[in-house]
Amino acid sequence: MKKRPFILKLTALAAAALLALGALAGCGGKTEGTSAGAAASFRTLDEIKQSGKIIIGVFSDKAPFGYVDENGEYQGYDVYFAQRIAKDLGVEAEFVSTDPASRVEYAATGKVDLILANFTVTEERAKQVDFALPYMKVMLGVVSPDSAVVTSVEDLAGKTLIVVKGTTAETYFEKNHPDVTLQKYDEYADAYNALLDGRGDAFSTDNTEVLAWALSNPGFTVGIDALGNADTIAPAVQKGNTTLLEWINAEIEALGAENFFHADYAETLAPVYGEAADPDALVVEGGVVEN
Amino acid sequence: MAGSGINVLFMGKNFLRLLEGLWVTMRISLVSVVLSIPLGILFGMFLTLKNPLSRALGRVYLECIRIMPQLVLLFIAYFGVTRAFGWNLSAELSAVIVFTLWGTAEMGDLVRGALVSIPAHQYDSAAALGMNRGQTFLWVILPQTLRRLVPLTINLTTRMIKTTSLVVLIGITEVLKVGKQIIDANRFDYPTAALWVYGVIFLLYFLACWPISSLAKKLEQRWR
Amino acid sequence: MEETIQLQVSGLIKKFGEDTVLNGIDLSVRQGEVVVVLGPSGCGKSTLLRCMNGLETPTAGTILLDGEPISAGDRNITRQRQKIGMVFQSYDLFPHKTILDNVTLAPRKVLKRPKAEAEADAQRLLERVGLWEKRNAYPRELSGGQKQRVAIVRALCMNPEVMLFDEVTAALDPEMVREVLDVMLELARQGMTMVIVTHEMRFARAIADRVVFLDGGVIVEQSPPEIFFTNPRTQRARDFLQTFTYENRRP
Repeated sequence: MKKRPFILKLTALAAAALLALGALAGCGGKTEGTSAGAAASFRTLDEIKQSGKIIIGVFSDKAPFGYVDENGEYQGYDVYFAQRIAKDLGVEAEFVSTDPASRVEYAATGKVDLILANFTVTEERAKQVDFALPYMKVMLGVVSPDSAVVTSVEDLAGKTLIVVKGTTAETYFEKNHPDVTLQKYDEYADAYNALLDGRGDAFSTDNTEVLAWALSNPGFTVGIDALGNADTIAPAVQKGNTTLLEWINAEIEALGAENFFHADYAETLAPVYGEAADPDALVVEGGVVEN
Repeated sequence: MAGSGINVLFMGKNFLRLLEGLWVTMRISLVSVVLSIPLGILFGMFLTLKNPLSRALGRVYLECIRIMPQLVLLFIAYFGVTRAFGWNLSAELSAVIVFTLWGTAEMGDLVRGALVSIPAHQYDSAAALGMNRGQTFLWVILPQTLRRLVPLTINLTTRMIKTTSLVVLIGITEVLKVGKQIIDANRFDYPTAALWVYGVIFLLYFLACWPISSLAKKLEQRWR
Repeated sequence: MEETIQLQVSGLIKKFGEDTVLNGIDLSVRQGEVVVVLGPSGCGKSTLLRCMNGLETPTAGTILLDGEPISAGDRNITRQRQKIGMVFQSYDLFPHKTILDNVTLAPRKVLKRPKAEAEADAQRLLERVGLWEKRNAYPRELSGGQKQRVAIVRALCMNPEVMLFDEVTAALDPEMVREVLDVMLELARQGMTMVIVTHEMRFARAIADRVVFLDGGVIVEQSPPEIFFTNPRTQRARDFLQTFTYENRRP
């Protein structure tokens, strides 16, 4: 009968070890700048080419930038660009579905080679990842019901503003207008439902996003279409992945010569925004932002 | 004007994608449950040992797993481990590890409760008949414990199936995420699709959980 | 007649914390003898039985079964317990097994006897107590008296040399007490060595070869039943028996 206690002691040891592991990993993940631990985990340009595929993090439920059509194929402004990158590298594109809050983690841990998920460039994020040249610019917009349109930030006093966690809208309002009550959600679909239900009074995220949504949701208007600073959207790679970064920058400059991103806009965004937006207000060609 | 949202279900491969998503959900939860049951039984027995150190360790594990939100555990397993040690666990493996750890803890507590509820006299009777500890456990205590556990284990299984939806945040496309993808892809043409899509998903969850519940009922009756 | 001492208790002391329940017990039980242990509640009768088959460890003193010491936690204890059968007040049949399985479980798993053989034995004993027809029933379907009889059969299937009975009829409805006591009387007639703790005085008188009166953790008196019940030697025994007799209210 000695056998049974031994098995239990072994299990205890295993469990304690797992727990210690978890605690350590948790600490490791929280501290800033421990890139030493994650250092060797990105794939260089050559490694990507050799493997025959590039792993790209995109949105899968945020049309028209990254979404999945009825055939299970990824589509959208970011995806169109991603496919071109893969083609020019001579590899297949493998897409990973990311959510706004996890984009940084995906890039920083090398789980994806590249993030092309409507990723706005900020100083904070630049500490964790390396941004390439921009391919789009955006400002914040605020959409609200026709019955109570919010046309300025002052209108938000005493109201609840919905934001998605991890987006620039969240950071902007927390930093610049802390008096505004925020209602936060993990995913866009949940945020929109909250606006539709009336659980929140307005929703803020990139102006492109809310413009598109308001077009197809009668009863709602984008009262503010250019809030905050003009932010740029750029691809992101793991910090230190210089080979890939340089290649992408060169690619963006080269694509500028053929007006690639205007074609991308025409293919993916124009059908959605139609008359409501001007391509040059959003598209950044050749990585050069013109104001 | 947008047609009825139900159309999205029949477009292209959408329905198939939902089923594939359900398969992902079931795969992760069932593998985790199947692993959690034997580990949980061992852990439950471990929790009833008289040694105060082992009891303390066991309780620490149990409380930590319970207090931490599953989402944090998923992040730690998937991203944290990579950041700290450079190990690259796949998303599904991370999910199964986390759910198994959680399932083992919960199951262990259930088993402990069931073991403790067996009257002390059962141990005495078996001992008086000359059975040693191992035989008593195997033939007298454990069968009674398992019978008590059936409804609670089913409850744990269905809870696990529902909690699996958290794995979208480490990039796994399970049935709820497929639903959101379909809804979003069609939000300009079929803004009311959400109702239909979630309705179908509800049905799918029901179809997935129902056989498990009826299996449990059959077992309960057989063992009455 | 063989006078082998089957069970020998010497200087048995048992404390639970500060509480001394048994305070120096010396007792020999001969083969084939039926010893009835009587005494007020809390005087240690159950504890004595539980020490005899190692369910409790003595604080001091020894117990010998066929000359071999009994101590719980010893590797030999399971083997020794096979020789001692015990029936408890709360029967404690295994609820998840049929009557037949309850009775054959230990012979098959502990004694490693083949199923057919164990079942044949079970049949013989269950028929003797008239419960063979219930062999496929579950314990919850049986009455208290039936369950207790099955518990006795379960213990007997291990072919013990000694049987211990701990107030086995105390939890039963009065109508069912008789059927159980009849089984025990039959066992005694067949020459089984038995140590019985009971409150059934007339039964005790009928079955005992010797009565041992326990009070305050010590043996106060040991006598043959005729002497104990009609003319006890000690005052305490007399006081005890007094609690069981009633003066007629009506003259």
